[in-house]
Amino acid sequence: MKRTVDVSIPVGPVHPCWKEPTRVKCETRGEFVLSAEVELGYMKKGIERIMRGRPWQEVMFLAERVCGICSVIHNMVFIEALEKMSSIEVPERAALLRVIVNELDRMQSHILANFSYCYTIEHETLGMYLLDSREKVLDELERITGARITCAYMVPGGVRFNLRDEDALHLRASMDTLEKEITRYMGMFEHGPLIALRSREIGILTRDAAREACACGPTARASGLPESDRRLKHPTYQKLGFTPVSREEGDNFARIMVRFQEMLQSISLILRCLDTLPVGPIRGGGIPGAGEIAYSGEAPRGELSYFIKTDAAGRVLEIAIQTPSIMNIEACCHYMLTGVASMADVPSTFVSADPCIACTER
Amino acid sequence: MALSLLYYAQEFFRWEWIRKFFAAKTAPLVIPSYFRNYPELTGKTCTHHLFCMMACPAPGAIDVIHTPEGWQPRIHIGHCIRCGLCVEACPNGVLTSGRILESMFYDNTKLSFSFRIDVDTEKCMGCGNCAVACPVNKLIDAQMSYGGHASTEDLLLKVSEGKCHVLHVEKCTGCKTCENHCPNEAIQVARLLEAVHAPEDEV
Repeated sequence: MKRTVDVSIPVGPVHPCWKEPTRVKCETRGEFVLSAEVELGYMKKGIERIMRGRPWQEVMFLAERVCGICSVIHNMVFIEALEKMSSIEVPERAALLRVIVNELDRMQSHILANFSYCYTIEHETLGMYLLDSREKVLDELERITGARITCAYMVPGGVRFNLRDEDALHLRASMDTLEKEITRYMGMFEHGPLIALRSREIGILTRDAAREACACGPTARASGLPESDRRLKHPTYQKLGFTPVSREEGDNFARIMVRFQEMLQSISLILRCLDTLPVGPIRGGGIPGAGEIAYSGEAPRGELSYFIKTDAAGRVLEIAIQTPSIMNIEACCHYMLTGVASMADVPSTFVSADPCIACTER
Repeated sequence: MALSLLYYAQEFFRWEWIRKFFAAKTAPLVIPSYFRNYPELTGKTCTHHLFCMMACPAPGAIDVIHTPEGWQPRIHIGHCIRCGLCVEACPNGVLTSGRILESMFYDNTKLSFSFRIDVDTEKCMGCGNCAVACPVNKLIDAQMSYGGHASTEDLLLKVSEGKCHVLHVEKCTGCKTCENHCPNEAIQVARLLEAVHAPEDEV
């Protein structure tokens, strides 16, 4: 089909709104975007190749360094895959502590994503408020695990550190403050008329399109696909009675609101974990053996899958990581960006899908 | 327009915000006590088990050197990723970092090492370099002859019937000397790390 295209406008790879380098090439007529294409490959690390031939205690740290924002879930999925492969049991207390740390990590990742979006639509005040809340979450992570981002908290058969009573009290107190703050910021976002002008009805991803593009995570849940949440299949989350949030609109506004709602949901999950935290051991022991497994978990951005093959001594022979962002980037450039009325909405639509380029290129 | 001005006014003319605006102070830049920083020496005696070096995931971040005061681990700051595995793996509590040592004591946790030796019989040609080089064998049978043959069965490694055999794997210290001396890459030592609760008598 012949189309009249005025100009192909590149956005990136260096752009003030983007956390990581990538280029979006938009074919436009006037300012109307006819189609878009994403160019990746500015920061390939080859981390899967480095992982090969190494034991779990080395691969665990490499897996964390795949992504700087959602490092805990990489650790968790890798370790849980090894546990499932070698049938290692996890004590109940350790399983709940894992959920606490994972949900804290999800909160800080969602806050950063929403900050990024607010910054892109030029609402820096709300963005800075969100970053202030993120510090509280990171402080809690540091209190429990000893580090803010690369926590290295989970090991086969349990977790590394116990949650102390004084830390549990501190965590409860800051969850209460965070709940108040995030509810307030959510209200600001929901009712702000200028925000609505930049967000509502922009970058629409319909339910069928989301399913076709295999979108996952908050991007899919904003288009009315709550069943895409992998936490529904996780035994600890099932025990906690987890139900995913979802919205029907499928626009930029819905994607950010889903993240806000998930933050509140994370807070309630953490409080539920703290209420039901039993006293007991935090490590069950167990050495990963030979096997082959494909396992996935829910990262802040969607489904994260690990394929692992190990030898009898527990060394990783083959490893393949599939990260959620690649599906969301495809959904973004083929469905959300097509039909965007103004070039100014291109960065904000792209950022609303929360693309993590470090994950995507590994 | 009026709505949004009203909205911003509502946001900023709050007593809480105004007080914060005039009285906010930057938090002092201190490293909290619970931060898992670079490992430091506690002053306890190092017994040269080298578990810290074996557990370390970063290449070249830690080594154990001989000083006039005895063996001592040394951290290379630029290479260390502050994971804290060396602190947990040390059987004597020589290193400390953040609250790791303290919480190991309270929770009774530790990282324990076990070793596994795999001999590929297809590749092994029975030269005995591994058995002769093995430092554990040297302690048990200092007279071990060239070729790795010996009369005692207490050894860790021994060559019999033209192949290397692992007799007592529990004696292995994980030094990988055999692996480094094998001309055929037939012998491989795996260091298996396990996160466990320490037995009561060790604490």
